[in-house]
Amino acid sequence: MTSDGPDRAGEVLAGPIVWAGIIATTSLLLLLLQGVLWLVIPALLGLILYYLLQPAVRRLVFSGLDHELAASLVAGVFFVAIAAALALVLPWAAAQATNWHMSLSRYLDGGVSLLERTLRLLESESGLLRNAHVAETVTARIDELTSGFVERHLPDVAMAVAAWLPSILLAPLLTYFFLRDGRRFARFLARAMPNAYFERTLKLLHEVNQTTRAYFVGLIQLTLVEGALLALGLVWIGLPGAMGLGFLVAVMAWVPYVGSAAGGLMLLMVAATDFPNTLWPTYAAGALFLAVRLLDDFVLMPLIIGRHLRLHPLVAILMLFAGGVIAGVAGLMLVLPVLGVVMVVGETLGRIVTDPRLRARHRHALRLRRRQAAMNLPRP
Amino acid sequence: MALFATLTQKELRVVRALQHERDYLAGEVVFDQGEEGQALYVMVSGRVAIGLVGSTPDASFTVVAELAPGDFFGEMALLDDAPRMAQARALEDCCLVAFFREDFMLLLETHPTIASKIAIQLARHMGQRLRAAGSRALLSRSALS
Repeated sequence: MTSDGPDRAGEVLAGPIVWAGIIATTSLLLLLLQGVLWLVIPALLGLILYYLLQPAVRRLVFSGLDHELAASLVAGVFFVAIAAALALVLPWAAAQATNWHMSLSRYLDGGVSLLERTLRLLESESGLLRNAHVAETVTARIDELTSGFVERHLPDVAMAVAAWLPSILLAPLLTYFFLRDGRRFARFLARAMPNAYFERTLKLLHEVNQTTRAYFVGLIQLTLVEGALLALGLVWIGLPGAMGLGFLVAVMAWVPYVGSAAGGLMLLMVAATDFPNTLWPTYAAGALFLAVRLLDDFVLMPLIIGRHLRLHPLVAILMLFAGGVIAGVAGLMLVLPVLGVVMVVGETLGRIVTDPRLRARHRHALRLRRRQAAMNLPRP
Repeated sequence: MALFATLTQKELRVVRALQHERDYLAGEVVFDQGEEGQALYVMVSGRVAIGLVGSTPDASFTVVAELAPGDFFGEMALLDDAPRMAQARALEDCCLVAFFREDFMLLLETHPTIASKIAIQLARHMGQRLRAAGSRALLSRSALS
């Protein structure tokens, strides 16, 4: 019994107060989430896997399978495949541990040697740098810092990985329950809402789901495109292990700025170590990394993620800085998805709170329920 | 329920997993005229009136239709997000089942057979209303002439 008709007054767009609330809530959430990273990280991984596996579940449901059975089947097959891959890789990785230790030291030395060669090249061009003995001083300082670096930090890294392992193992469990009970959870939330706000809540839950899906699916697409571009470029340069290296650097870019910078540095170190006699592969790897990052930040990211999140680029950049200040590396990783979800919730709540008709309907329903509850009670 | 009359037991189980059951007290507004429609409602028990509300503060509620268990309303919300043309108000305590537009869209992707059965029932219902409105218009025109 609906059709076109006049829109009711009272609906307003999110204004400065709502936006101040959105930014404050995002900052507060980042501060709180920082304390429960053991749960946040597996939940994020679980969400990424959920959005990755959801199309397979839908396909199975489409072919006639029950939803719960489809979710169990997809999650089961995926995790058995991962477990089988780990069972194959882990013994090999343990056997290679000594080699890795040596490789890490070798690549670190390669990086230092690259810096020294570059500074010497600059010194040969500039009298000022030559007189200041820049190459000598910087190399000596870095040698001081990096001597025994791997030996000093490897045990800490191993301990950190061991401490995080139980938490990371939560991710498959969370993914399974997201796949199986995600819809049930949304219905449970909608049931808790008063009748007046019920339809808005349904829409809100749908939009939150769309926003998180847009972010994580966009992130996966972005990683695949960036990884493929880097891998192709590195294959052309002739770097050994180009495919793995390209995708590793793309995954590291999930942590804005810090991850990207570490990925770029890693590329330079690998190129400098594997081509010790010539500088052009290192410069080419650096140029390739910069070109892919620029393409990613200014073309792919706004195209794939920004469009879905409807975030103004300036707000996104400022919030990235704020996220880094509030919660460090975790803040950098979490700030955009958290902001996207808080933005949808905030804007909808802003519309509900500023809609006098919805509030009046809710008050009316409460009066009716109070009257019904007091019915047939004797007067005091 | 007329909307789901052609569904098999297995198909009904799929639809039931997407439904939201809501209870309304007599006098409570289910949805408002001019509000953006998000869901279709199927009557389980009680009575609901569909009516037009005037724009003045003391405007009366002009009942257009009264619905009983098995009937459904708000069906245009499944097709677009245009504002509701009328208000739905519970005449007595009632239980309704709501069916969200995005769930219907999901059904089109995952269970096209079920979605097309529901869509055909919706089309039949709208066809009946269109014919009834056409007959009323003809009667009014002949009365005028």
